[in-house]
Amino acid sequence: MSRPGQKVKLAVHTATGCRACEQGMLDVNNEVSELGRFAEVVFWPYVLGTPWEAVEGGVDVALFAGAIHTEADRQAAMKLRERSKILVSVGACAAFGGLPGLVNLAPPAEPAVAATESEDKPTLPRTEPRALALSQVVEVDYVVPGCPPTQNLLWAATLALVCRGESPARLSYSVARLPEAVAEAITSGVLPPRGTVFAGEKAVCGSCSRVKEEKKSGTCKRPYQAYDLTGRCLLEQGLVCQGVATQEGCGGLCTGVGVPCRGCFGKAPAIMDPGAKMVSAIASTFDSKNAQEIAGLVGSFVDLAGTFYRYSLPSQCALLAPRRG
Amino acid sequence: MSKVTFDSLRWLEQPAQVTVTVNGGPPRAYFQATSPRDAAALCKGRLVEELPRILSILSPAHHLCAAQALDRLFNVEPPAVALNMREALRRVLFVRHFLRKFYFLASSQESPFAELRSREVRPGKRDLHGVVQDLSRHLSLAQEAAIILGGRADHPVTAVAGGVSRSLREEHHPRLAEIAAACRDCAVRLSAFVREDVFPAGKLLADVQDIAVGPLASLSLAPEPDRLILRDAKGKELERFATTALFDKVALQREPWSYEPFAFLKDKGWKDLAAGSAESLFFVGPLARLNGGEAVATPLAEAERLRLVEAMGPFPHGGVLAAYWAMLVQLLEAAEVLVATCEVEKLSGPAPRTIPTALGQEGHAALESPQGLIYHRFRADERGVVQEAQILDAATANNALLALLAQRAVEEPVAQSKPWEVARKRVELSLLPF
Repeated sequence: MSRPGQKVKLAVHTATGCRACEQGMLDVNNEVSELGRFAEVVFWPYVLGTPWEAVEGGVDVALFAGAIHTEADRQAAMKLRERSKILVSVGACAAFGGLPGLVNLAPPAEPAVAATESEDKPTLPRTEPRALALSQVVEVDYVVPGCPPTQNLLWAATLALVCRGESPARLSYSVARLPEAVAEAITSGVLPPRGTVFAGEKAVCGSCSRVKEEKKSGTCKRPYQAYDLTGRCLLEQGLVCQGVATQEGCGGLCTGVGVPCRGCFGKAPAIMDPGAKMVSAIASTFDSKNAQEIAGLVGSFVDLAGTFYRYSLPSQCALLAPRRG
Repeated sequence: MSKVTFDSLRWLEQPAQVTVTVNGGPPRAYFQATSPRDAAALCKGRLVEELPRILSILSPAHHLCAAQALDRLFNVEPPAVALNMREALRRVLFVRHFLRKFYFLASSQESPFAELRSREVRPGKRDLHGVVQDLSRHLSLAQEAAIILGGRADHPVTAVAGGVSRSLREEHHPRLAEIAAACRDCAVRLSAFVREDVFPAGKLLADVQDIAVGPLASLSLAPEPDRLILRDAKGKELERFATTALFDKVALQREPWSYEPFAFLKDKGWKDLAAGSAESLFFVGPLARLNGGEAVATPLAEAERLRLVEAMGPFPHGGVLAAYWAMLVQLLEAAEVLVATCEVEKLSGPAPRTIPTALGQEGHAALESPQGLIYHRFRADERGVVQEAQILDAATANNALLALLAQRAVEEPVAQSKPWEVARKRVELSLLPF
């Protein structure tokens, strides 16, 4: 591992998921080429084709994307935890289970892809019984949420964890909009407190540009139906919009372009379970005292588990999430 | 018997490895997708209008394809401005995808993260690092355009049933036009570099010049709506059929050593890949789209296509070099179309979305993504909950092709007892343009 004055040794890996987080890292506004001044990328299979032996000498910062869905994912998580000073969950899949976690709602798949050894044919890593978030398998130091993480937060994490105050001012364009702990870390070069989530400190509603009027809607609208694409709060229009239950940091990216939030930054800090919070938030938009009417309204909400826990089912659904062990 | 695994191959959109077994005779290479990716299982039970956001896990183009399928399911015709915005996004995705592929190719000889500033730049000579920088810069521009059009570059959110979720802001119009022109100019510079410094000199691609699969049939979208063209290995049109008949013609074979199924032509039947027969196989993507031999509609791309024909002979082709060249042609075409699409009047209009009036129960769409043909078919119940999703991804369609390429790539190094690293690099460079 690196000593003071040496470049930070960096590893990047994706388990089960897409490559969007890694592509985001590659496309960080052309700043990726500057990384060479601060870090030595010792392990990045997708871009460099480096083998696992490359992490044996130790890594300072490991960026881990993707959910844990196979035994190879689990081994990768354990290996990078063991060999890294700092392990970072990057993206909703690693942070909360992400879209691959929805598979936990499906009936168990047939073992069509067997892991049986044959004389000359290769084997496959076995599928885990359930898709998991990285933190359900190993201890995680920092989290960069989002599906995929926004570029400014991804770059903020790089500045805070890799560049550690050495970055020239022109690279610190995102500091002004970051939570205090993260901004301090970037400018001072001191690591942010362990467990820091590179996101905002409130719920998405805090930075959503839409207007909340505290009006009761008393309806359930689906996104294909007519609603005001700009202006009014989507939840108050009767849509299931999870901004109220989701950690801020994206700047209301989805609501800003007229589609409801689906919670890819995970639950907001003060919330125990995003689904429970959503039930409460939706109920607060009802104005009826007629049991029959309420029952009819409730019946019109469909696939709540697949909606409320779209990106977080494995780790943030209080009823289903297994603990690490 | 010896067994060697090239773990986590570079540049592939889904984690994969190649395992080579040698047992006295010729080597046998297994191209293995090592992560499960059952998108259809994720869709089942979801609200049908959510599928564009969910299926973007496969690639951003699936977001557009799913929205197109929803138009049909809800029986709505999107306004022209929405169709133009979707098309602009699709073309941006082409540009970004192909720029990234060439970025990987250009940076294949050494780490792209080496400190570029300290590099010696030789005056008067086209510098490879300059090319990497140029590609990197325009990748980020294409990403910016994708964010403007799609809300996000990966996992876009703006395509919805009946159109798009919002109109562009006034300031987006000049920016998109500026990015489109810059990407077109970058594509022109890249094509000159690749044509003059890479293809003839064999630089970068020296290891894979001889690798080809084929003859192999190809499948692509027909110019008329909702039709697909199946061409035989000689490029001759075998059949033109409705997109809805895709899974009548194509079946999927599961093998216990890969998480990705192998697509094949049903009427020919599945033949074990080890037998080396490609009779029942087909492929999709940039080269498949050009293998019909038809002219490309835009001038710069057509000129590049003709240069390919002049250098390599008429289509069809099955070689790796031709596949790289096909990417170049389609990068130019996408950039040219993007420039033409990003005109203020084409992307302006008050109503970006036609509101559906009722839930439908079935929708389908096929679309040419950068990676190749993709197809969706959804069936929903009366509440709009997905009961069944049939999805063909380009990775599934090309899985057999990649397996054959991996096999070809390892044969010569093993026969000549070259280091395994040579075989690995040949595999990676062979798979990159498909």
